Amino acid sequence: MFEESKVAFFLAKRSIVRGNKGTLSLTILIIGMVFVNLIFLPSIITGVAVLFNQQSIDYSYGNLVIEPKKNQVYINSVSELQKKLERIPGITGVSTRYVTSATIVYKGNVVTPALYAIKPGDEQSVLKIGTKVSSGSYLADGDTGHIVLGYRLAGNEDEKLDVISSLGGVDVGKVVDVTFNNGVTRQYRIKGIVTSNSYSVDSNAFITKKEYEDVFGLEDRANQILVRTRETGKENEMRNTLLSYGFQEKIWTWQEKSANFLNQIIGSFNIINLIGTAVSLVIAIVVIFIVIFINTVYRRKQIGILKAIGIDRSIIIKSYLFQALFIFAIGTIMGCAFLLMILQLLAANPIVFPGGPVAPVVDPALILRSTMSLLVVSLIAGYVPAWITTREDILTAIRG
Amino acid sequence: MIIGRDLTRIYGMGAVQVRALNGVSVKIQKGEFVGIMGPSGSGKSTLLHMFGLLDRPTSGSILIDGSDVGTLDERARTQFRLRRLGYVFQDYALVPELTAKENVYLPSMTRGMTAQECTLACSDILTLVGLGDRIHHLPGQMSGGEQQRVAIARALVNRPTLLLADEPCANLDSQNSRIILDLFQRLNRDLHQTIVMVSHEEWHKRYFDRIISMKDGVIEKEERRSEGGKPAPSP
Repeated sequence: MFEESKVAFFLAKRSIVRGNKGTLSLTILIIGMVFVNLIFLPSIITGVAVLFNQQSIDYSYGNLVIEPKKNQVYINSVSELQKKLERIPGITGVSTRYVTSATIVYKGNVVTPALYAIKPGDEQSVLKIGTKVSSGSYLADGDTGHIVLGYRLAGNEDEKLDVISSLGGVDVGKVVDVTFNNGVTRQYRIKGIVTSNSYSVDSNAFITKKEYEDVFGLEDRANQILVRTRETGKENEMRNTLLSYGFQEKIWTWQEKSANFLNQIIGSFNIINLIGTAVSLVIAIVVIFIVIFINTVYRRKQIGILKAIGIDRSIIIKSYLFQALFIFAIGTIMGCAFLLMILQLLAANPIVFPGGPVAPVVDPALILRSTMSLLVVSLIAGYVPAWITTREDILTAIRG
Repeated sequence: MIIGRDLTRIYGMGAVQVRALNGVSVKIQKGEFVGIMGPSGSGKSTLLHMFGLLDRPTSGSILIDGSDVGTLDERARTQFRLRRLGYVFQDYALVPELTAKENVYLPSMTRGMTAQECTLACSDILTLVGLGDRIHHLPGQMSGGEQQRVAIARALVNRPTLLLADEPCANLDSQNSRIILDLFQRLNRDLHQTIVMVSHEEWHKRYFDRIISMKDGVIEKEERRSEGGKPAPSP
């Protein structure tokens, strides 16, 4: 067996070293490109998932979201709950808030966004919205009569540029009319515009909790408490900790809150990726198959001669398998080099998605899976044509 | 000794059948240089293919040094060809990516000889065929005569029981043909190499110890030649 492999390797090596370099180089190049294709798109998808996950934590939910018990509208005595939460080890920030909807009107433009009533100081201990003010300034704890808008909601004077229904390019310092769902209408001066690249932030509006409670006559309540933990990824453990502390409210992890939206995006991307992967592998198998098949058919007579002088068929097949392995190995190495170059290029010039710049995330398991699938494809594409050609009767092959 | 008994080979299926060999019986003694001659379609190459284990007779048997080669399976036949037979083809049939040395090296390597043994055997045999200074040349860098001598070296490297040559001079000019035939004669006389060669050139006859003339799939006549190529007197 070892002797056979030695002879097969010898024949393959000489064929590679002294054979047609042009065909070999092109084949290797194609395999390299296929490898890049197998890795690149999934790594972008993973990058998008990482981006959206981080955005969910940083701009929408923190790590955990506490909501009222079943059949209740509000969580009561939130100050006490907040203090209790802040004492639990591993929790770094707690923000109590109201989430509602309101109608905002400016110069005949009417929009109905989600309205978040927050305690700005607490909110900044959980979310990063306060760091994304693109114009004006963020809300302060004592603010009344002020509102902060997302830049999509503020919109543009030219409505063609708007992605959603907007206030037509309203700017900092302007006054808008806000009608709450209890029928009260108040005027608010725009204190700031936030541009976070998070859809849920940029399309909505923010006032202080104090203002909201004044409008609704509420005190020390909230319909949502956001919790930031020191470690991301241990949300379920922290939820169990909260339950052990006697919390009876509904507790969601950020994954559960954002699952539907993200799963839809990733699901769609994965379908595209599956098609891309299948096409890439088919290209790889066809290219290697054609190259080896043409090679073996062209050398049909030579294969017959080799068999005639006593070279076993399995040696000849193995020699083509070694050639296919060489194409795979060099193609994969070349693909890795291409991939590194592309990653460096993207690090300098990132692809900007609606959620922000996406950095491709190359998972080692993905590289391993792609390499293995390319290896299997290469072996099949090397074996089958060699098997077909060497099956031919010696005299038929020699006579051509 | 090679013994072929009542060999027939029928090609084609159904109504159209060609009898390439029609009951041929032949014995070849160790150390003989036998020429098989005859017009196209006479069955000379078919007989050589039988001896070379490249084809199977439709009926009849072949014994090479006492082994009934008809009973061997494909893998055993391949091993038999490698270890016991040497084959020289009309068109040299060298691997183009291998140098002269590597082409000769290949059968020894397949037999499992060490690199040192292979190199030694190659150098000896290539020197014997007069190509000691061309061992690193690729087939494309050699003349037809040189390529055929490499093919002969490849056939001889495993010290075969029987050397088979299928019109080895068909693609060579008369000068190179003479070199090849002289080489065969030298191998036969000096090393007692048994050689069976197919040819249709009349002037080749003087190299053979015995000539088997074939026609229409049967042996038409057998003629023993004396030293110098003249027909030997009947015993």
